[in-house]
Amino acid sequence: MSTLLDILLRLTLWILLAPLLPGIINQVKAWVAGRRGPPVLQLYYDLSRLWRKSVVMSTLASPGFVAGPAVAWVALVGAAILLPIGPFGGGLSFKGDVILLVYLLAVARFCTTWAAMETGSAFEGMGAAREVSYAVLTEAALITAILALSVESGSVALDRMLALSAGTGAVLLAAGLFAVLLAENCRVPFDDPNTHLELTMIHEVMVLDHSGPPLAVILHGAALKLLLFAVLLSEAVLPMGRMSPLAATAALVGAVGAVTIGVGLVESLLARFAFRRVPLLLTIAFLLCLFALLLAWKGGPA
Amino acid sequence: MNSTLNLLIGLAMGLNLLALGSSRLPSVIRAMAVQGVVLGMLPVVITREFHWPVALVALVTMGVKGFGIPALLRRAMRAANIEREIEPFIGFVPSLLLGAIGTIAAVAVAQRLPLLPEHAGTLLVPGALATIFTGFVLLVGRVKAISQVCGYLIMENGIYLFGMLLLHSTPLLVESGILLDLTVGVFVIGIIVDRIQRAFDSLDTRKLTVLRE
Amino acid sequence: MLLVALVACVAAIVPGPRWPRIWLACMVVGTGSILAAAVAVFAGAPDWEWWSAVRVGGERLHLRLDGLSAWFMALLGLVGGLGAIYARGYWPDDAHADSAARGRLWWGVMILSMGFVLLSSNGLHFLIAWELFALSGFFLITLDRQRREIRAAGWLYLAASHAGTLCLFAFFAALAGRTGSWELGPMRAHPELGPLFWLAFAGFAVKAGLFPLHIWLPSAHANAPSHVSALMSGVAIKMGVYGLIRFSGWLPTPAAVGWTITGIGAATALLGIALALAQNDLKRLLAYCSVENVGIIAVGLGGGLLGAADGDAGWGRLLLAGALLHVWNHGLFKALLFFAAGSVLHATGTREMSRLGGLWRSMPWTAVLFTIGAMAVSGLPPLNGFVSEWMIYLGLFDVVAGRSPAAWAAMPAVLMLALAGALALAAFVKAGAVVFLGAPRTRVAAEAHECGGSMRGAMVVLAAGCLAIGLAPAVFWPAAGRAVAAWNPPWAAGAPPAPLPTLGLANAVLVTLALAAGAGLWASARARGLRRSLTWDCGYASPAARMQYTGGAMAAIAVGWFGWIFGAERRQRRPRGPFPAGAHRIERMPEAVLERLIGPVAGAVMQVAGAARQLQHGRLQYYLVYLAGGLTALGTLVLVGEMK
Repeated sequence: MSTLLDILLRLTLWILLAPLLPGIINQVKAWVAGRRGPPVLQLYYDLSRLWRKSVVMSTLASPGFVAGPAVAWVALVGAAILLPIGPFGGGLSFKGDVILLVYLLAVARFCTTWAAMETGSAFEGMGAAREVSYAVLTEAALITAILALSVESGSVALDRMLALSAGTGAVLLAAGLFAVLLAENCRVPFDDPNTHLELTMIHEVMVLDHSGPPLAVILHGAALKLLLFAVLLSEAVLPMGRMSPLAATAALVGAVGAVTIGVGLVESLLARFAFRRVPLLLTIAFLLCLFALLLAWKGGPA
Repeated sequence: MNSTLNLLIGLAMGLNLLALGSSRLPSVIRAMAVQGVVLGMLPVVITREFHWPVALVALVTMGVKGFGIPALLRRAMRAANIEREIEPFIGFVPSLLLGAIGTIAAVAVAQRLPLLPEHAGTLLVPGALATIFTGFVLLVGRVKAISQVCGYLIMENGIYLFGMLLLHSTPLLVESGILLDLTVGVFVIGIIVDRIQRAFDSLDTRKLTVLRE
Repeated sequence: MLLVALVACVAAIVPGPRWPRIWLACMVVGTGSILAAAVAVFAGAPDWEWWSAVRVGGERLHLRLDGLSAWFMALLGLVGGLGAIYARGYWPDDAHADSAARGRLWWGVMILSMGFVLLSSNGLHFLIAWELFALSGFFLITLDRQRREIRAAGWLYLAASHAGTLCLFAFFAALAGRTGSWELGPMRAHPELGPLFWLAFAGFAVKAGLFPLHIWLPSAHANAPSHVSALMSGVAIKMGVYGLIRFSGWLPTPAAVGWTITGIGAATALLGIALALAQNDLKRLLAYCSVENVGIIAVGLGGGLLGAADGDAGWGRLLLAGALLHVWNHGLFKALLFFAAGSVLHATGTREMSRLGGLWRSMPWTAVLFTIGAMAVSGLPPLNGFVSEWMIYLGLFDVVAGRSPAAWAAMPAVLMLALAGALALAAFVKAGAVVFLGAPRTRVAAEAHECGGSMRGAMVVLAAGCLAIGLAPAVFWPAAGRAVAAWNPPWAAGAPPAPLPTLGLANAVLVTLALAAGAGLWASARARGLRRSLTWDCGYASPAARMQYTGGAMAAIAVGWFGWIFGAERRQRRPRGPFPAGAHRIERMPEAVLERLIGPVAGAVMQVAGAARQLQHGRLQYYLVYLAGGLTALGTLVLVGEMK
């Protein structure tokens, strides 16, 4: 019973907090540009507005067009439940949960790209093609980072893997995972979440034809994924296990905030890269994680 | 001391990869310059106490590698009106991966080499091997003569790193030899670049195949 | 039980060609009893051994059903039976008047010979059954003899298959020569037999389709009738895997074998799926994906061998069990996918994905079932593909976390598996979306029809199997444990070294929530009003079916990364000028190994042979001269020999 309650509590926390991050990012961007910017809670307003709207669907689309985003959202929520929150551990912690987490992200990707292809639009097909292709490289970087954490901690369960810092390679790992975060969440310099036209290349292209509640679910899922990666990055780098619970929680919140602000700053200061340079950037992220792995290996038993 | 040394050499190895991955000439030159400064610091770090000659050598190395040569190259770039985008012969991602493999292999090979105990714990030898390899990849994999110059210079940085191994025995000799060699090399290349530019209206080394007859 | 199976299968073969109903009934009984025999072993029945009284070829028949054989027998029974049911709707007599009967005959022979391969414990009979199995495969592939590419695929299959059989002949003969008998069984105590394993490895790797010996596989699987493709891909290539697992368990293996199999497996997985992504032919894509999955299985097996050499039971056991489970899983979902591809082919007459599209409307069952198969093959939870890949990942991660020396094989393997997984997802989003979603690209796609009941039923059973292994993996552990114990007896007892029940629970929760969320969102969208309108596409006024993203375009980015390995060929004419004339772009991924390596070598051999044929022209006078020349040469040789 208490496990169930615990999971429900986590669920609420994740779902409620997720839309905050894009708001903070937009605030940072507005601040750098010297504008006032939308309120921090803008996404909450958007979501509630969208939820009340009716749906327009392409004549070509099957019910999968609506079910896809829902399943993707469930997969992301599941991944979030698996991820430990600082000192409180994971909602369902078991050996090998980290692989489940990675593959739940893949489920979400499968469903969003599948739903995008429903419309038969070349534009959305382009987005889907890019999403699945670049995911190959981010997955390589992510799995290498996980290998590094696993070598460091001698374990394959998330709560132990994330309890330690990644040792000497922490800086490399942080940089690599940050690039993965940017790429997986389609932020600048990989993609531009602001525009709705040709400039936006991956995520926003895929959701062009969605509207109403399905779009709300997609937007919320995207926010959830951002929060997920921010938490993962923070916990991978900070030695959570060696702090007192209170300090760990504070550190986690601070680190997630820092990552969010970092995303905002990157977005303000960098332009989106030319598309053919994306693989290069992701290769660099992969190499950073690879060197973190080798350093962890050389670092001796944890 | 060893950790500072390893940090510096690790930085230089990272700069190698940066040079391989960057698609613009100025950033390659910048990576090379920063690498020069980083390597220039090494003699001071390696000799534990402060010697005037060593410090002087370090200063001169930093000056030449970090500022002199890059300034020369930049001037050549402006003078010859070279486009800043690099044309790769081996693409950026493959050369980056090659560089990474080379770096890992260098570390692995260096562990097998019979080194002096004082060098066994440091990254000196792997760093040197990796840097030479990077320079080699740049030399082979780039089309423009001026980016090949950068490759040559990075290779030279690697040789310089090897020179650090001998620092205890013949510090000044090694240093001055390297520096002399380097300066001459850069001048020669500078002249050649200028000549190629005048003769072919381009620095594309592929056009040099015309000369084979 | 096996006797029933034998009788039923023979009964199916004899009158089968004439009476399809009796054949089907006999096949179902036969394969059902094969399955039942396997299940009986897993339920705790002791291993079964039997020697015949009569001698066949100078040897007594020796059959043995242990955990490992039973594991593969179960798959054979299931897919063999379902394929027979499927064939009734897919390859009926009225559409294929002469070949349907032949198909039934060889289907029975193939099932029977595969069963004998699995049971046979005597080298001689193993080889006979193996040869029969290869031959029946050839006849099944070339059922539809009219088309040239099908015959070519059949010959390629036969040639490759016999190259493999040649290695096996050498292997069994050498084995019999060293041990003094054709009898097979555990012989780990004779380390001098170790090097022989390499021969077996080469022979079985051809059948399993490990890179670069996979050359026969894509064309054979793509050109065979779909129920045959399912059997070939789901079960027949597993015979190669069975051989590898069986003889790596019985023979003492050299230390390098584990490393080699892991490495080749990882490379096979990555390159296989990259090639799959590049295909435009739906069944060819599936065939290349089989290459990938065999690679994954090989990674598990190689890891198991490393574990056995290391003596550590934990991760080795997990890896081998994962490999075995993947054998089942791949059999299930690949048969499902080939059946679904067969329904598409049946309904539209084409395998070209760029001619299909929008099939979900006319073939909802096939679309949903293909989606399930696609998710399973991409290794996505909550389906079965994820469970076995998870076990293999977990084993490899254990190696890495434990910092054992085998980690230098495990780390690259994990990386390659992750890359292969992401590419598999790309390949199957491409395949499913281009075939089933969007608008029909051609008239045939628009006029497609749903497949019949028998085809649908077979697919539903397979999909249910995929879901069952995904939701309750722990149920299948004892069976896998038995098979693992048959491979390496010291690893016999014990609970699974992985939290399988928890994973099953997580998967079950995921399914429930996903169904609930999907239905809920659909309901809420309907409640708020659901309008249909043209695809918006950023305000494009009149989208046409041909404007849709094609499969080739979808794969182009990722395939481009592998272009340098396979030497992609590209012909294009870019649009030029203000009023461009026709432009096109054609990309083709050549069969690199076949066309670049084996083709030229075979060509050279043929040239030499052709030159030698000049000597053969039918004139008696010349033959006399040859004779005289030969005699003189011999005489000289003798003289020279004596002079020394």
